[in-house]
Amino acid sequence: MIKLTQIKKSFGRHQVLKGIDLTVEKGQVVAILGPSGSGKTTLLRCMNYLERPSEGEITIDEFTLNCRRPSKSDIHELRKKSAMVFQQYNLFRHKTALENVMEGLVIVQKVPKEQARVRSIELLEKVGLGSKLDSYPSQLSGGQQQRVGIARALALNPKVILFDEPTSSLDPELVGEVLSVIRKIAKEGITMIIVTHEMGFAQEVAGHVIFIDDGVIVERGTPNELFGSPKEERTKQFLKRFTPDGVYSI
Amino acid sequence: MNIDLPFIWSSLIELLSAIPTTLAITAVSMLCGLAIGTVVALIRLYKVPLLHHIAAAYVTFIRGTPMLTHLLLIYFGLPVIIDALSDQFGWSFRSVNIPMIGFAYISFSITAGAYLSEVVRSGLQAVNKGQIEAAYSIGMTTRQALGRIVFPQAFAILLPSLSNSTISMLHGSTLVFTVSVVDINAKSQIIASANWKFFEAFIAAAIIYWGLTILIERLTAMVEKRINIYNRGGVT
Ligand SMILES: Nc1ncnc2c1ncn2[C@@H]1O[C@H](COP(=O)(O)OP(=O)(O)OP(=O)(O)O)[C@@H](O)[C@H]1O
Ligand SMILES: [Mg+2]
Repeated sequence: MIKLTQIKKSFGRHQVLKGIDLTVEKGQVVAILGPSGSGKTTLLRCMNYLERPSEGEITIDEFTLNCRRPSKSDIHELRKKSAMVFQQYNLFRHKTALENVMEGLVIVQKVPKEQARVRSIELLEKVGLGSKLDSYPSQLSGGQQQRVGIARALALNPKVILFDEPTSSLDPELVGEVLSVIRKIAKEGITMIIVTHEMGFAQEVAGHVIFIDDGVIVERGTPNELFGSPKEERTKQFLKRFTPDGVYSI
Repeated sequence: MNIDLPFIWSSLIELLSAIPTTLAITAVSMLCGLAIGTVVALIRLYKVPLLHHIAAAYVTFIRGTPMLTHLLLIYFGLPVIIDALSDQFGWSFRSVNIPMIGFAYISFSITAGAYLSEVVRSGLQAVNKGQIEAAYSIGMTTRQALGRIVFPQAFAILLPSLSNSTISMLHGSTLVFTVSVVDINAKSQIIASANWKFFEAFIAAAIIYWGLTILIERLTAMVEKRINIYNRGGVT
């Protein structure tokens, strides 16, 4: 479904991704963990081509893009396969919640307006915002904005949704509402890759966990393997910060 | 000192007929200038090879020289170029066919283009980068992202500067008297010297310019109110 081969990315002399290989099966939920600055955001952005990898190959849904000399239309094609949920929400500020969700359907997928409207309202209701259709982002709380962001991503029916720390700009009391929406869509079998610092959440929804440090995948496995009995020293060190006794308890 | 109040009134009435000329020069220069400025701003932001050097040179040259100089350069330079080209290619078009006001349109559009390119550029840069990334992430092309997401927001940001520039252009358009176009200012000079009532005629002109300026400010406020609904309750 998704296959990354030897993705490398440098900013100037600083190599941030040092050859990432990753395969994700259809319907899988993958959580990416790692310390700050390890390259998690960069990796996610590379998949959506918001960041241009220096080297490597990206395949999503049987469409393969070689990062050496991609054409504009290839990039566009690849982008249409995925949708992104941003840490800072990035809702279109001059559009209402409903318009934010409709935008991609009407402009990119050329769905007739009325149909797009119906579908968008459905999605906003699903994320619990049926009463906020006509609110502008500036009139919504962070948690509400992020749920609109999720509805916007869902609307496109993408092959994969990429989440970059979807809850880390939120006040603690708003984290729950966003996580429960993600939990709900995870159950529907949508392929998702989630960068998160919410260990409990990763353990619960992800079928697969990946630990990245310093631009390389250090360890991967099921939540039980990775949290329960991490093999690598760096993983143990990292997890220790979240579970003081060094043992992951359920 | 005695002021002939009735003469101010009759001058005002007479000057009304020159308003369309002034407004046409202002509007045409601003619209063409905005088009030029937008293209130049995009060329510079996207660093289009070669073109962005030319664009940068254009902006520094125009901003580094007076608007009156641009007008004179166009007025004396353009006919030479056009006639030379006509000779070369055997066109029947001659520079004498260009109406005087045409020189004003061309030169002021060039002037406005340079200033507005900076205005547009700052507007585009003020739009959060996350906005265009979100547009890309839902599969928009660059053109769609700019047209539907970035420009509308940039426009809201740069509206006050745009209004200021329009007012500057309204006032700057008085320079057209040097190429014998009769705008409000030129007409007031004609009225003044014909009647030997300079002060009164110029007061009348001042009143009209002031009125037009207020009109532009009002229009701006109206547009601003309409397009900024989305900022309600926002911090910025
Ligand atoms: N546009 C950029 N230009 C230069 N360096 C960058 C850029 N974006 C990221 N970096 C660098 O790349 C490295 C990885 O950044 P990245 O944002 O991917 O980390 P992260 O794992 O997402 O961290 P966090 O958990 O803090 O979000 C950092 O050292 C960062 O400084
Ligand atoms: Mg990050």
